[in-house]
Amino acid sequence: MRILLALLFVVLSLPAAAQDSAAPAREKVFNAEHFTLENGMQVVLVPNHRAPVITHMVWYGVGAADEKRGQSGIAHFVEHLMFKGTDNIPPGEFSTRIKAMGGNDNAFTAQDITAYFQSISSDRLETVMEMEADRMTNLIFPPEDVESEKQVVLEERRQRTENDPRGYFFEQMNAIVFPNHPYANPVIGWLHETEALTRENVMAFYKEWYAPNNAILVVSGDVTMDKLRPLAERIYGSIPAREVPDHNWTAVPPLKATQKLIFADPSIQQPMLSRVFRVPSENQNKEESLALEVLASVMGDGQSARMYRSLVAEQKLASGISFSYSGSARSDGTLRITANPAEGVEMDTLEAAIDDQLRALVSGGVKDAELNEAKTRLIDAAVFARDSLQGPAMIFGYGLSTGSSIDDIEYWPYNISQVTAEQVQAVAAKYLDPDNFGDRPYTTGYLLPKAPPATEQIEETAE
Amino acid sequence: MKHLASLLFAVMIMVALPSSGHAQGDKFLDIQEIQTDSGIEVWLVEDRTLPIIAMSYAFKGAGSSQDAPEDQGLTIMASSTMDEGAGEYDAQSFQKTLSDNNISISFGSDRDNFTGYLKTLTKHKDLAFDLLHIALTEPRFEEEALDRMRASHTARIRSSLSDPEWKAARILNDVAFEGHPYAQNSGGTISGLAGVTAEKLRTKVLPRLAKDNLMIAVTGDITAEELKAEIDEAFAGLPETAQLKEVPDLTIQNAGTITVYEQDIPQTVIRATQDAIGRDDPRYYPAKVMNYILGGGGFGSRLMDVIREQRGLTYGIYTGMSEMDHLASLTLSTSTKNESIAELLSLAEQEFARMRTEPVSADELSRAQSYLTGSLPLSLSSTDRIAGLMLSLQLEDLPADYLDSYDEKINAVTAEDILSVAKDLLKEEALAIILVGKPESITADKTVTELPNVE
Repeated sequence: MRILLALLFVVLSLPAAAQDSAAPAREKVFNAEHFTLENGMQVVLVPNHRAPVITHMVWYGVGAADEKRGQSGIAHFVEHLMFKGTDNIPPGEFSTRIKAMGGNDNAFTAQDITAYFQSISSDRLETVMEMEADRMTNLIFPPEDVESEKQVVLEERRQRTENDPRGYFFEQMNAIVFPNHPYANPVIGWLHETEALTRENVMAFYKEWYAPNNAILVVSGDVTMDKLRPLAERIYGSIPAREVPDHNWTAVPPLKATQKLIFADPSIQQPMLSRVFRVPSENQNKEESLALEVLASVMGDGQSARMYRSLVAEQKLASGISFSYSGSARSDGTLRITANPAEGVEMDTLEAAIDDQLRALVSGGVKDAELNEAKTRLIDAAVFARDSLQGPAMIFGYGLSTGSSIDDIEYWPYNISQVTAEQVQAVAAKYLDPDNFGDRPYTTGYLLPKAPPATEQIEETAE
Repeated sequence: MKHLASLLFAVMIMVALPSSGHAQGDKFLDIQEIQTDSGIEVWLVEDRTLPIIAMSYAFKGAGSSQDAPEDQGLTIMASSTMDEGAGEYDAQSFQKTLSDNNISISFGSDRDNFTGYLKTLTKHKDLAFDLLHIALTEPRFEEEALDRMRASHTARIRSSLSDPEWKAARILNDVAFEGHPYAQNSGGTISGLAGVTAEKLRTKVLPRLAKDNLMIAVTGDITAEELKAEIDEAFAGLPETAQLKEVPDLTIQNAGTITVYEQDIPQTVIRATQDAIGRDDPRYYPAKVMNYILGGGGFGSRLMDVIREQRGLTYGIYTGMSEMDHLASLTLSTSTKNESIAELLSLAEQEFARMRTEPVSADELSRAQSYLTGSLPLSLSSTDRIAGLMLSLQLEDLPADYLDSYDEKINAVTAEDILSVAKDLLKEEALAIILVGKPESITADKTVTELPNVE
């Protein structure tokens, strides 16, 4: 009985819900506190007193996209070498010490950033800050460790990319989505370039980019700013600022031809289609980026979103599909559609059906109900984002490193609520129209089963 | 001298121990053990930090080991179609109601258990528990949903066939659990999935989901009284007694053998497993600390130090102890380029041998104890993790105050205890080893060319 009532309630309350979602109070999500040290290092605290633990992260504004030509993989290699010792902490000891204090630590590298983190009991905050600050300037790069760690990185490349054709497929897709742009190179590095990196190369990269004025400290968890501030001032504030290069990246030029990558491999048994559009990141265009977030939710968020409902449930052309927008980037963002064709369905049939969905979006826009449901989903999701220790630290670290402001992050739900159906349709028409892609052609990849001999080819079709 | 050493050692532990943030005598986790009016037991941790409620629950013993060999995939199909239409909702409207209200309701399964998860904002809790009720008691299992989920699982299996890590895990289960239901593919076989019908789901899976094998853990913004009512409504109508077939215990099969699946890739994937012990064995805590020092700890473990840090032979090498209802095991996972495989296996064997012949150092022991006790509060950082932690205690039949004495049990372990359990466990020829790749300089005892339990 309550079900029926509940259903009724949902239906009746839709207009009200729509209104709610259209104008929520302009409230902060995380209530983060922040300040900037005299040397330029930004400090952000996301308080969370649920358990006596913290996540401590340092984000460097340098990633794979900043590598010199011919040195792909060096940003990630330096990340590994950050665990290989200073005069105070012997090679390999960093993580061992963190673990001996009951903590977990790790690091990761992306195109735009390199980040290091520890999750640990809050009374160990000072110690982990001292350890992290130490390796910001004091790395020693022992030659034998540099060599053995290079072997580790090459094993990592084999594991991530070379052991599975899907790894090669996505690596090469990325290479053609971004012509003349540093995002074309894999973060793990091209094999022949990473193999050739020297100790001098990595030391130079570290000295060039690792400085407090190119770093952001994010702490999430059970600590107050009264406690954090003096620690940050003493430990990180004492490191002098140094000149850091600009991000001098080349851009993708205006292009005229869509690109198609076809990769067939004998070990593939399930074909897969990948479609990638280059679209604005939040850093490049905040308003369009917010509209793209809502658009991606309407099209791809769950089983009642358009793509799944139409292609999987109704037309039975795909057994699975995803549609996602990635807008956290210093340079271009991407919108990616990935689909598995249903058994017996040809790839071009599936691709045509995807294009039809995009055409319908471009010509018909989104309905008010769809828009409001998507906005409510995204706004409510912000509550769930707080239900984590590391999650908020990731959001601030990635956002602030790629051009978002604290307010952009805090008021994200409100900003989402302001997106209109016209804005969604406008970004669809501008970036996702398969019939009129302007000078931003999209890239399509087919990963296919293959009888030998294997072939790889790039077909280019003129507009 | 020995006395002095152990005294010194006790002081070292004290120094290294991180404060766990709760005063002595405090509970690690304030678990309320409540009983609903209809007699269902629930563990609850009230937490008002956020307007969120998370629930993890399980039907113990109702997992995929209950599937007949020809029906592999039946359980996973049940877990993926119970939320595809129920009661008055068709698949589309059920999913849309979940999505529009940001409610997560999902089901899952492993070899032993059938599990469920619910997460909702407090404001939608009545609707969330109502939807769960009809999913559990009135699933539609319509042909359309079955076909769609069958296609999705079949595509998942076919996609996995280019992943050597998935293949190694598949072969390991087949070889190490030979002759036992655990050897079956819990994700289903393509033919097993093809044979799943609504009738089979109703007669062979739903009768396993009953009140007498149900365990529930809830965290978040709800009182015990409110929760009792929601639980009674959500789980009303389930049978009192689960219909489960007996699953025998087993030990690792094909110990001391190497099985190779040859594939033309640059790196060989290694999975190896052997018998271990469970929590009911008095040597459990020494074994747990031993595992941490050997390879469970990642960085700082002996295997990681010797094989990755010193020689650069791998990106990662780990050991893990796992306890299932009918088997306790220790599993080694790693990978290395094809030409280094013999060297890696020999170094790993040396470390197993060193563990069973020499006591661990006082420093290694205290570091391991500090991590195992000090990292526990990290599992309290989200509602999901708290609920998951409680459910894992229930599934292992541990008391709600188990974690309060956990530190004590870990800190009581001595180097002698570890040596003794290592001698018992880490015997030569105990591992069943699987290699996927083109391993050089290795003599295989068995070569596999067809993946078992896939088609």
